[in-house]
Amino acid sequence: MHALVGENGAGKSTLANVAFGGLHPDAGTIERTGTIGLVHQHFELAERLRVWENVLLGREPCRFWTIDREQAHARVRELATRHGLEVDPDAAVETLPVAVRQRVELLRELERDPTVLLLDEPTATLAPAETEALFTTLTQLAERGIAILIITHKLADVVRFTQRVTVMRAGRIVARMETAQTTLDEIAHAMVGGDLPQVAARTATTPAPYLSFQDLEVRSGEIVGIAGVEGNGQTALFDAIAQIVPDAGIIPQDRQREALVLGWSIADNVALGRQRTRYRRGIVFDRKTARSDAISIIERFDVRPRSVDAPIGTLSGGNQQKIVVGRALEGRPRFVLAYQPTRGIDIGAAAIVQSRLIEARNAGCAILLISFDLDEIFVLADRIAVMYSGRLGPLFPRDSIDRARIGALMTGAT
Amino acid sequence: MSGELLALFTLTLVKATPLIYAALGGVVGERAGVVNIGLEGMLAGGAFTAVAVSYKTGSAPLAALAGVACGAALGFLLGVAATRWRVDQIVAGTGLNLLALGGAAYALVLVFGRPGASFAVPALGLRGEATLIALALVAALVIDRVLAVTSWGLHVRAAGENPRALDIAGIDPLRIRVQALVLGGALAGLGGVFLSIGELDLYSDGMTAGRGFIALAAVIFGRWTPLGATGAALFFGFFAALQFTLQQSGIPSELMQALPYLAALAALAGFAGRARAPAADGIPYARE
Amino acid sequence: MTGRWRAAGLAAAIVAGVGSIAMLAAGANPIDGFAQLFGGALGDVDELAETLVQTTALLFPALGVAIAFRAGLFNIGAEGQLVMGGLAAGSIGAVLTLPGYVSIPLLLMAGALAGGGWGAFAGFLRARFAANEVITTLMLNVVATLFASYLVGGPLKSPAATASETAILPHASWLPELVRDTRLTLALPIALLVALGLRYLLDRTVFGYELRAVGEAPKAARRAGIAPGRIAIAALGLSGAIAGMGGATIVLGILHRFNVALSPGYGFIAIAVALVGNCDPIAIVAAAFAFGILQNGALAMQAGAGVPRDIVAVVEGLVIFVLAGRQYLTRTVAQ
Repeated sequence: MHALVGENGAGKSTLANVAFGGLHPDAGTIERTGTIGLVHQHFELAERLRVWENVLLGREPCRFWTIDREQAHARVRELATRHGLEVDPDAAVETLPVAVRQRVELLRELERDPTVLLLDEPTATLAPAETEALFTTLTQLAERGIAILIITHKLADVVRFTQRVTVMRAGRIVARMETAQTTLDEIAHAMVGGDLPQVAARTATTPAPYLSFQDLEVRSGEIVGIAGVEGNGQTALFDAIAQIVPDAGIIPQDRQREALVLGWSIADNVALGRQRTRYRRGIVFDRKTARSDAISIIERFDVRPRSVDAPIGTLSGGNQQKIVVGRALEGRPRFVLAYQPTRGIDIGAAAIVQSRLIEARNAGCAILLISFDLDEIFVLADRIAVMYSGRLGPLFPRDSIDRARIGALMTGAT
Repeated sequence: MSGELLALFTLTLVKATPLIYAALGGVVGERAGVVNIGLEGMLAGGAFTAVAVSYKTGSAPLAALAGVACGAALGFLLGVAATRWRVDQIVAGTGLNLLALGGAAYALVLVFGRPGASFAVPALGLRGEATLIALALVAALVIDRVLAVTSWGLHVRAAGENPRALDIAGIDPLRIRVQALVLGGALAGLGGVFLSIGELDLYSDGMTAGRGFIALAAVIFGRWTPLGATGAALFFGFFAALQFTLQQSGIPSELMQALPYLAALAALAGFAGRARAPAADGIPYARE
Repeated sequence: MTGRWRAAGLAAAIVAGVGSIAMLAAGANPIDGFAQLFGGALGDVDELAETLVQTTALLFPALGVAIAFRAGLFNIGAEGQLVMGGLAAGSIGAVLTLPGYVSIPLLLMAGALAGGGWGAFAGFLRARFAANEVITTLMLNVVATLFASYLVGGPLKSPAATASETAILPHASWLPELVRDTRLTLALPIALLVALGLRYLLDRTVFGYELRAVGEAPKAARRAGIAPGRIAIAALGLSGAIAGMGGATIVLGILHRFNVALSPGYGFIAIAVALVGNCDPIAIVAAAFAFGILQNGALAMQAGAGVPRDIVAVVEGLVIFVLAGRQYLTRTVAQ
């Protein structure tokens, strides 16, 4: 089992795409023996089709033109049993939880008997126990002679489960290591190309109740983290709270669709959300104020390029996210609602985003953070609750609970 | 009384048949992920081609085949535009309508030497008309099964739900979409054939009268299923038939003519939100 | 850049090529046909004036279609909105005896209100019932025509008229001519003002900002507190109002009465015009002029070269295909 690690934008996915055959290399050659199976980060499944239809798509057993449904079922069952990936062949994919969908995608690739299996960030949305189960399966596959390549930025998984590591930075391979002979810190160092950026320190605050929603209480001067596996009602929670607190600073989950108008300039994007209050003069849109606010965000967050007129779609993910977070914090809101604020951005940008959030908390802002990433929860949150199956568990102060317990709660333990 | 009822029933079938063909064409396209605004043009293309070929050859069956072929060709054009050329589907369909309706009007002058309407040409006759009506209902059943149990049907549904998944499986979703539109165009073309040489024996400008658009409403009302869309087409056909039955009642004829459209509007408003379109319906797919 | 120009050239060649083949099919010499087309559209002042009349008639609905497009909505119903606007102006105008400076603005507003209401209704169906506006506006076209035909065939029919139309409007309510003895009236500068106003609305106002946000990033707009339903009603209402005002200018400036046949499909051709103009109000003015040439020149071509004027619809349909596919053309040419 081989891990390909590197920051967002280091070129891992590009390399994978070239290897998989979707992209053509500009230079150099790819040597391949056998076939490659690719498990996507965001699964490529037809959600309203059944499991067996997805697994066998393009290879469905036919009698004349009609599909032999019984044979199809049998094939999927056999495949599932052989690899220990239990799944109901007749279930519609849209009814399945994330971890099971991943099994479906995995089965689809295994059906083709790959010699190499490539998994792109397979644990990004899994609970710790599900991660464990996935790696057990992958280890078995590796023992059967399938080469496994995992693209990830979760170094703890790399150290625990893989045999070899390749590190990429800025489009180049910068290190090749045997996992047994290296450490997490050494890998991280190679990945960033120096020391890890520091996140701002938290200062003592005097929390006072700001918002309470059912059993959830968020106080000013603290960050409450909601941990949980994707698809357990976090989006509904986010929407409900966004509705209750209309003047909150909002950092939505899907940066490109929910937060930004990609064809617009940075300045016009900065105004989005307060176009009727701060950026309105009569019926006219006050672009001047938007531009000056954009300039100050660009300064505070070190956004590149430093031009308020640049179309925001041309910025890197990290720089786009800086604008989203900067906009949410602009005007010192009393409450900020953040959903996966550092998803898919590089470590430098993530450190800036996390630092600004902590600074806002230090200054007395109440922050509710929803994240699937336990690391992020433990970096940012003062108190933590777990969301499972649409329900929110009790709040624990960060120091009174460990990751293993949180991980167990994420998969429904009581 | 029962005679009147029977007449209403028969007329409902007659009025529904072109709608059924067009709506089935729409269903196949949308299940593959392409919204077909061009159904109106395909109806007109099929209707005119049939009349022109019948006029030139004197053979109504040959003319019917030619009408189907014209619909399929228009479906191919729309399919290629909406997939390979990546023209917006609604825009391409609107363009196709102008092209086909304008082309029919233009060719009408060339073939018959006068604008507006053709001469009477050899038609399919009563028996042919009845056959096409029965065939429409059969087609609905066949297409329902094709989508449900055949390999091609699975590929069509996958292209409409997540074309990338199909692409990963090694099947070109764009090719499937084009094939679906060719079949859809052929069906709509047959609907046009019914209009011109099934129900009548001539072509006149504007004879499709928005049926392609009603068929689109039937697709949605029928929840993107062949049988549902056929039911919806029969429902709209009933209102179209009612117009003739109630002609003597003193209700303004324009109101009666508007009935199917008003029914379609009401149906859309009442039912649109309750069913979901295929997930990738109307969304162009770009291969990497 | 050169790729883009070459693609534009290729697009023009495709359109001209297919047009030529169609002319040959009609037994006409294409060179002669095109000469007739451009000569007939631009040959002298009267012909240029008539081309501008067609330009104006297309400009109103095209601006309407464009504003809906910018909000991410397909208004295929400009034709019906045009009819409703013309109907309102014609039926009220026939009984209104006031000085022109009062009645003309009043009737234009009536047309805008009627067309706007027709468009806003589709917006309402979308906002309230999630009914797809493409199909509802298509349906409403037919309903509008039938409704108008009922009114002028019965209740509003002029006793003096033989056709289904309203009585002739009092002279005071006619739009003043710009060029003597042509049909070119004040409608053209009004349309140009509307184009300028739309440009300002889109680029400078909060409403335009919200409308564009909904059009380009509906989810982000919703997160920003913009109600998509409200924008749908407003955008389709405004879209219909502009088309409706266009219908009123045809009644006040050209027909001087309402007749069901006031539009030979301007509302559909307007979609092509809006696309060619990239939905930018100023560029649409130029696009409308190009289509005005086609519309008007086709008549001369029919008379002079014997090519049926329906060829214009074919060419216009083709223009939509080729222009909407221009990115593909650009890419292909570049390779």
